[in-house]
Amino acid sequence: MDRRTFVQLLAASQLAPLAFAEEVPKYHVVSGYKPAAQPGMPGPYPGQVISVRSARCLDESGEKINAEVVREMMARGMCKLTGRAKPVDAWRRFFEPADVVGIKVNCGGHPWVVSSHEVVAEVIRNLSEVGVKPSQIYIYERFQNQLDEVNYAPRLPEGVQIVAAESRNRGIDNHGYDPATYVEADFFGEEDTRSNLMRLVSQKLTKIINIPNMKDHGATGATGCLKNVAYGSFSNVARTHYKGVSHTKTFVGTLASVEPVRSRTVLQIMDGLRGVWHGGPFARTKRYVFYPKQMLFGTDPVAIDRLLLDIIDNKRKAEGAISIWDRSPESLKADDGRARDNDPNVNIIIREPGHVEYASSLGLGVCDLGKIQVKEIDV
Amino acid sequence: MKSLLFLLALPLLYWQQGIESAPALKQAGIERLCVPPDQADAWRRAGFSPVPMSLSELEAREKLLTPRLGGRVDVASATRRPWIDSNGWRFVRDPSGKFYYDLPPGRAALAAAEAFAYGADAVLKIDPADLEAASRMFAFLRELPNDPLPPVADMAVVDDGSPLTGEVMNLLTRRNLLFQVVTAPSPKFRLNIRLGTKEYPKADAADPSAFAQKIRRQLTDENRSLRVYGTELVICRLAGDGSRVRLHLLNYGGRDIDSLRVRLSGSFARGEAFAAGYDSRALEDFVVADGATEFSIPRMGVYAMVELRRAK
Repeated sequence: MDRRTFVQLLAASQLAPLAFAEEVPKYHVVSGYKPAAQPGMPGPYPGQVISVRSARCLDESGEKINAEVVREMMARGMCKLTGRAKPVDAWRRFFEPADVVGIKVNCGGHPWVVSSHEVVAEVIRNLSEVGVKPSQIYIYERFQNQLDEVNYAPRLPEGVQIVAAESRNRGIDNHGYDPATYVEADFFGEEDTRSNLMRLVSQKLTKIINIPNMKDHGATGATGCLKNVAYGSFSNVARTHYKGVSHTKTFVGTLASVEPVRSRTVLQIMDGLRGVWHGGPFARTKRYVFYPKQMLFGTDPVAIDRLLLDIIDNKRKAEGAISIWDRSPESLKADDGRARDNDPNVNIIIREPGHVEYASSLGLGVCDLGKIQVKEIDV
Repeated sequence: MKSLLFLLALPLLYWQQGIESAPALKQAGIERLCVPPDQADAWRRAGFSPVPMSLSELEAREKLLTPRLGGRVDVASATRRPWIDSNGWRFVRDPSGKFYYDLPPGRAALAAAEAFAYGADAVLKIDPADLEAASRMFAFLRELPNDPLPPVADMAVVDDGSPLTGEVMNLLTRRNLLFQVVTAPSPKFRLNIRLGTKEYPKADAADPSAFAQKIRRQLTDENRSLRVYGTELVICRLAGDGSRVRLHLLNYGGRDIDSLRVRLSGSFARGEAFAAGYDSRALEDFVVADGATEFSIPRMGVYAMVELRRAK
């Protein structure tokens, strides 16, 4: 044995709750990383979500973000979450100067719904206040071409790293992934049965801040905290959807629970200044873009995503579109992306919003709406 | 003698350009080639080792497919797997067969590597514009270890000579399911695939992809001698004996691949990778654990070979 000193080999299907047992493919989780004493997910605030809204965060067109308002939204959200009076103390609750911090952004909804420059810049400013040097801060995504499109660099302090695992989604750049940390599963008879964790996450970062958006998703119903950090940190994940069927219900939570992702993801900041209610995770046109003008803060990704399911579904209902829970064959036009883009009553995959409940069953957070505490702030 | 045997193991170019193209061939390092019989003397006088072969003799050989990726991976298709045109199964089915490629531009290097990997008697009719690429591949292949090693197989396929069985072999090859062709069931293998039996009805093989998947399930991934991770566009041939193995990797995707991961059943000492177009021979992230050996090939183009000695 050359390098691997510890191998954790789990048959996740054996660990899954009985209620899901029949639906769970055989997962083999291989990781040499042990959980922290208190894993980042669900972290110190399970079931708690701080919702901050401001009508002033966007201009009337929805295109320009008011950075000062965003700063205030974030300061008040973080202070409310942690119970600290000063923002810097709120950030110190999670970070110390020695940390190497990854910021998992979401660039898939370019140009309209991505992790906003203003939110990302404010996160970095707060980390700097805590004493984390710019060179110890990494903005990351899986695909470099998506990061290039969004182009965070001009608004960041010098020294902040921007890192992707692959140049683009072609499945030929594997060096950015850790060969010793992966989940193995055979969903549809594919030959490449492994999804490997980014080396950056396993080998460099000590903490992760997750900045998803409020987005509809063709396979999961909605994509928020769980999917952003799971499918955005592991390779070879698109294989879970095929011919209208998706294994996202169990795979999203399974990936999010792999160490060290679970332990190191310590803060969830959902950027809901803008959102997309259909056609997600993409937002190539403004046709399905909406403006929640809202940010959600917490450490529990399940609780935030449970709220997100209703936010997306309620918006869809208001627009006269089928529910994200719709499983009717009449709505399904498998793999027909054009039909989906033209008609919000078309699914290309039977969506699996149940992935949030499944993640809860893995201990990643609280899914029961009756047990989720939402504290609301207006700015 | 060894070098002569080695030269004989390399595929040959079929060259119809006149003797005036001799300088280009010399510059490309090509010395041995098939030429029309009426030109053989001229080529010999020019210092080459020509093998006289008429066009009809060439075409009397079994024609091979142009090796390539048949459809784009990101386009919806009947199966999720990319469609690859490869010839490995033909070589495995008929090791003493005589074959030829009639290649469009851009395919000579992969075809040369494919024929070499399977030790096939193949002649390549290439586009003259591909001479440089072909010669680079020939030069690379000439430097590789090539002493004979028996193929490694996880199952046997009883060959009834039918096209249906051939298509099953094709799909097994494309999934890197290693098989040996036999004329009758072999006690050496737990799985003997014989079409027309109760276990393997011909009707099942009408969908060769599903049939190959059924066989994969029967074998189980845990019992496979070889797994490849990081792409579905690489087809491998594994050979070996009690002391070592040699793995040939053919990339049909048309793009170089970074850090391809390989898992071999058994324990091996760290060996070397020979990747066409790349100097580095180091295998990365080499791990021996749980009865298997895993490593990554840092970067490969159309072809790479790995040699490993069994751990003592």
